Amino acid sequence: NDRLFVGLGGLATDVQTVDQLLKFRQNLYELREERQMSPKVFSNVLSNLLYEKRFGPYFIEPVVAGLDENNKPFLSGMDLIGAPVYTDDFVVTGTATGNMYGMCETLYKPDMEPEELFETLSQALLASVDRDALSGWGAVVHVITKDGVTSRELKGRQD
Amino acid sequence: FFSPTPLLSLTMARRYDASTTTFSPEGRLHQVEYAIEAINNAGTCVGILASDGIVMASEKRVTSGLLAPSKTSEKTYKLCDHAACTVAGLTADANILIDQARLRAGRYTYQYQEAIPVEQLVEHVCNYKQAYTQYGGLRPFGVAFLFAGYDSHHGFQLYQSDPSGNYSGWKATVIGANNQAGKSLLKTEYGAKPKSDDDDDAPEEMETEEDPAEEEIRVPDVTEALRLAVKVLSKTMDGTVPSPEKMELFTMTLAEDGEGCAHHILTEEESKKVVDDVEAEAASAGDA
Repeated sequence: NDRLFVGLGGLATDVQTVDQLLKFRQNLYELREERQMSPKVFSNVLSNLLYEKRFGPYFIEPVVAGLDENNKPFLSGMDLIGAPVYTDDFVVTGTATGNMYGMCETLYKPDMEPEELFETLSQALLASVDRDALSGWGAVVHVITKDGVTSRELKGRQD
Repeated sequence: FFSPTPLLSLTMARRYDASTTTFSPEGRLHQVEYAIEAINNAGTCVGILASDGIVMASEKRVTSGLLAPSKTSEKTYKLCDHAACTVAGLTADANILIDQARLRAGRYTYQYQEAIPVEQLVEHVCNYKQAYTQYGGLRPFGVAFLFAGYDSHHGFQLYQSDPSGNYSGWKATVIGANNQAGKSLLKTEYGAKPKSDDDDDAPEEMETEEDPAEEEIRVPDVTEALRLAVKVLSKTMDGTVPSPEKMELFTMTLAEDGEGCAHHILTEEESKKVVDDVEAEAASAGDA
């Protein structure tokens, strides 16, 4: 929904499958409970889903980001078998995680406004992928606020 | 389709009605017929197919003033983005079937990445119900449904299903208490041209002149269908005056942004307005 995003990085076919599975679970939840799934619950559903395949996992490393019922931000990252990490600053996944952890640690400040957050995130991301051979080819940034989502495409090195 | 009358052969029936899976000598399944009887004591549901959507009106039976007001709905349930249903009969039985329907719709979408065609969803639920009339020595579900749905193949559709697992598509129908009265009212009123003040006599002349087979049924729009549904419901309900608190009015139309369907259970205010319109119409027709 428009206050909950999940980033699925990894094997493309598993990205698609997990995306479809999540939609199925989320849909069923909303029909039965007659309310939207909160990010924390969604993160747990995803974590369970991945651990069910503990000995033949989906090759994805997801990130969940969203606003809960009180408009408080929620972040979580997971490995491919569903081990979650909940933070209140940043989560990273992909091939360039080393770079990204470095960039985020340096550039991050708590309580940034949406505009500054966008700038910080974009700089961290672009700098990280530029130095990683397996990452790149552009980026999309979504900034989620209680009033809506703003999505912007970044122009990066196409190599 | 026959109307079940167990009274005729009550003594004979007694030997064959204990098990669902046994036919009676007359070739009937008595348990199924008893299940249908159970529904005839339940809150009425009216469904009407309109040109731009579907209307379902249900009678809410409030058994006690102490009952905590239910959060959302007690008669109407959303099955998926493009289908919903109303229930007449045992709520507990209905909950199982509704969950089945939701799962089926979700799994279909997961497998085909497409919306399940409405008839397929209905057939799935009905096949599930049918299994309880043939296997296992279990009793049938005491529920009848009105399914409202939209798909790209056949547009808006209205289906009725009963405990036997039988289903059929309708332009307008009634289930639950007093459904015969409701159905006969629908027969005359559905597709009838709206009366204007000065031609009260004219429509009847016109109808006898035209060949009934060629006469076109004019499909009402959702607003008109809502009024008709309220009219039918007030006829089948016990009280003389239709009251908005006892009715649950539901419409399904295409969403304004073109993506999917809009399911709308009318608020008490909106329901009141429809009821007022119907009463005003009845009053003016009475005066004319």
